[in-house]
Amino acid sequence: MSDSIAIYVARYRPGEDDAPTEQRYDVPLSADLSVLEALNYIKDELDPTLSYRWSCRMAICGSCGVMIDGEPRLGCKTFLREFAGRGELHLRALDHFPVERDLVVDLEGFMGHLETVKPWMFHEAERPVAEGEYRQTPAELERYQQFSQCINCGLCYAACPQFGRDDSFLGPAALTLALRYNLDSRDEGSAERMPFLNADEGVWRCTFVGYCSEVCPKDVDPAAAVNRGKVASTINYGLNLLRLAGGKRDA
Amino acid sequence: MRRPWRPAQRWNWWQHNPAYRRYLLREATALPLFVYALVLVSGLYRYTQGQLAFTRWLEAMQSPGWLAFHALAAAACVLHAITWIELVPKLLVVPGISGPTIKRGHQVAALIGSAVIVGAALASWPLGGAGS
Repeated sequence: MSDSIAIYVARYRPGEDDAPTEQRYDVPLSADLSVLEALNYIKDELDPTLSYRWSCRMAICGSCGVMIDGEPRLGCKTFLREFAGRGELHLRALDHFPVERDLVVDLEGFMGHLETVKPWMFHEAERPVAEGEYRQTPAELERYQQFSQCINCGLCYAACPQFGRDDSFLGPAALTLALRYNLDSRDEGSAERMPFLNADEGVWRCTFVGYCSEVCPKDVDPAAAVNRGKVASTINYGLNLLRLAGGKRDA
Repeated sequence: MRRPWRPAQRWNWWQHNPAYRRYLLREATALPLFVYALVLVSGLYRYTQGQLAFTRWLEAMQSPGWLAFHALAAAACVLHAITWIELVPKLLVVPGISGPTIKRGHQVAALIGSAVIVGAALASWPLGGAGS
């Protein structure tokens, strides 16, 4: 293993740059050094002007997502040893998001999409606390547990060409979140969320590229969630036709 | 000062990532199948014009170019079926049946269905029975 590795970071400084340009940093190579730790080294030792996001260092907070050699990955979960053979790697901000500065992107729109699908519990009537908690069997938990592991890192949006084409698409994480609540036995809000699944920006914008699930660092499988949303949307459409045929109101 | 940089998606966005290239190859299988559907319709049209017209159409279909096209269409159809069935377990969730079992079931059903259709087509071949 060579002593150092060349890390090319796409720098973007608003006010100075019209578009990102790569800057080379040589970082001492060790087998246990993550890309995030390499960025910390650059910031501490080589260039304090470099901007990037990070927090937990253990794939929990979802802050350190960047494009690493063109793939959306978490900096804390990717190690330099993987690139030692080539002796270099290239970093840029997550694709499909507006770049604020260097590796920092604007996640406002993404957060808005998460909120759109009403990711909280709905109850027809609130139960008095005295009646105790809402209980669940292990089987009921298993139905949605995988989809509740999302850490909102945004990698699936950087992987989604449909979101890249038009960011009004609610996208993998938001639609997964909708399914996560719809599958929860304690929730009664499926009908509230259905208009967002059915909307132009909803599940039907997805063309099942499937790359979102490949890059997900928590194995959430958002492609499965979005496409199960299509099944739910289709069933809803059919039931609605029956309602209309029966002389009832459009639901 | 905020001045976010946001490039528009370029036409060749799919070229730089193997996952995107695989996706577009899967989607592109629709193109030979679309042409194949047109070819079948043209055959049907020739059939309505009488036996001679239909026989000439069948002979034309045996030219190397059309045979190559049919091989391409068949390959596209197989690739489409394989990639489609690969994705089925992601949206068809049946309690008590694992994803791989669902996938295997679809593969077997597709093979049996294809064998039945090919068998029926050969048995009713318009130029004189099976194998001619």
